[in-house]
Amino acid sequence: MVDVSGLTNALIWGVATGCIYILLATGLNIIFGVMKLVNFAHGQLLMLGAYIAFAVSTALGLNAYLTSIGLNVYLSIVIAIVAVALVGVALERLTFNRVRGKEKLTEIFLSLGLISIFENAVILWQGFDLHQIPSPFVGLKVPVGSISISYDWLFAVGFVVVVLALLLVMLKKTKMGLAIRATSQKGEAATLMGINIKHIYIFTFALGAALAGAAGALYGMILPFDTTVGSYPTIKAFAIIILGGFGSIPGAIVGGLLYGIAENTAVFFLGGIWQDAVAFIVLIAVLIVRPNGIFGEKEEQ
Amino acid sequence: MKLPLTLSPQKLKADLQHSRKLQIAVITLIAACLLPLLDRTGYVTSEVLTPIVILAIYASAWNLLAYSGQASLGHAAFLGIGGFISALIGVKLGLPPLLGLFVGAAFSAVIGLLIGLACVRLKTWFLAIVTFGFSVIAVTIFSQFDSVVGGILGFAPKTIVPTGLPLYYVAFAFSAASIFVIYLVIKSKWGLAFQAIHQNEQEAKMIGINVAKYRLLAFVLSTFFAGLAGGLYVQSTSYVDVSLFSLEHSLEPLMMAVVGGLMTVEGPVIGAVIIVGLETLLPTFDPLLRANLGWLFPSVSNVGPYLTALGLGLFFVVMIIFAPKGITSLVPKLYDKIKSKPKGEAK
Repeated sequence: MVDVSGLTNALIWGVATGCIYILLATGLNIIFGVMKLVNFAHGQLLMLGAYIAFAVSTALGLNAYLTSIGLNVYLSIVIAIVAVALVGVALERLTFNRVRGKEKLTEIFLSLGLISIFENAVILWQGFDLHQIPSPFVGLKVPVGSISISYDWLFAVGFVVVVLALLLVMLKKTKMGLAIRATSQKGEAATLMGINIKHIYIFTFALGAALAGAAGALYGMILPFDTTVGSYPTIKAFAIIILGGFGSIPGAIVGGLLYGIAENTAVFFLGGIWQDAVAFIVLIAVLIVRPNGIFGEKEEQ
Repeated sequence: MKLPLTLSPQKLKADLQHSRKLQIAVITLIAACLLPLLDRTGYVTSEVLTPIVILAIYASAWNLLAYSGQASLGHAAFLGIGGFISALIGVKLGLPPLLGLFVGAAFSAVIGLLIGLACVRLKTWFLAIVTFGFSVIAVTIFSQFDSVVGGILGFAPKTIVPTGLPLYYVAFAFSAASIFVIYLVIKSKWGLAFQAIHQNEQEAKMIGINVAKYRLLAFVLSTFFAGLAGGLYVQSTSYVDVSLFSLEHSLEPLMMAVVGGLMTVEGPVIGAVIIVGLETLLPTFDPLLRANLGWLFPSVSNVGPYLTALGLGLFFVVMIIFAPKGITSLVPKLYDKIKSKPKGEAK
């Protein structure tokens, strides 16, 4: 007999983890789609986002008024997103911009070096302790049938929906969005149409980084984290965009949710040690059958 | 299988005799033989020289795969499989540990063949993700057999020879032989095919190279030597546990090959010397860093290792941006600069 409420819990938390993966994978997908850049240090931006949100919310938490309405946490999320976007701009200008046009491997190696820089810098800044951002909704729950759903969970889902909606509006309705989509389709043609590709690259990287920062702030609110928090999610986010298709935001949403749920149910049935392995088993199985991913086309590279 | 050499053995010999590289290789070999004899305490031999020769095999194996345009981010899986299987053969089956070394390497190559089969059709960075994913799966699987492999506590392998000087010479012999074989492969028709695939897969296909076959071949050879390195590695640490599969071990050969020089035979060896050398030397600065900079970072009690790791990361990134072909590529450049300097002054 399967423990039903345990399984439901696994599914529910699978969705919350999935939300984090969706943000991360969407950011990676945009960067990859527009710049054809493979950044393995994307998860370290998530890590940075979580730490910045934690540091800011702790600092603002000293103010009793802000804390009483949870404003310190909301503000810290916004600040984390902006700060990580700025870090993204710096990264693009100082590093990735310099190896553009060289071999794909060079980019991959560069991003691996960045992982070590980020992780050690944050250890120096904050130490190794596990942290968690104090949620403004501690203990608040909504009963739904036999189970209860926490406010944290609702916040996570609502947050992702809002962020994705904003992103879609930006991509579909603004001039910048149009320019990004044009560059993503054909970079050279876009330049000929008078699009300043340098600005597009900077903006795209900042956008992707901001999404990673948002994912980090969310992660920090629902799960405890330390400096190693970014490394596996990056690879999983890549796996999600391979599965969900390049440049496809709906694909990333479906892929992210499936990944989160697959992982949490695997933990439920097989034990915690399988959490990371299951996701990769799924990926490898899919790639053996379809080397270009589930929705992958034959183009690219 | 006979290695299809592009040069006849006589020609290869003649070619080698004239090259400066041969002189350097011979000097390095002699130095590697004599160096441990100068080491009175044996510390440098067991803690620095032995890891260098073993990791040189590992980095060269990784580099061979990169030579064919495939970047593995999970080579620790093969290091780990080689280490675990070779040790288990000795401990559980009671077979001679030297045999275990070869069985471990062969086992690693078989798994490499299977992973390679799954990967041959994938693009560069898909492959990187799959290999990384496989190393995570491998560690999960090996952690399942707690009673067999000793769980998180690990277990001790049967030794081939005592650690210290004897093990160094055994490892050195394996290292020299492996790197020589890798050299022969790179200089053979296979190596040419690998290089062609690396440079442009489509073009390689058009001139009639069976891309899948050669990529698979590179995978099998590379994982064989990685497994061999794993077997030797556990001999040197006298200890086997799942930390062999860690991400650090996966990135180690990459760093060595990139710092030393990708696409060259000597690059990974030089990289192994540099990286192991730095890892040995840098901790000596810990007290100094702690005394002088510790106050800047109140969250960490011993800042040394993190500052040095940060420095290494920066060094690596700067290398990739400014010298993507590694340190070996700087030598001819430097040579040219020194040579052309008087000319410049004359102007």
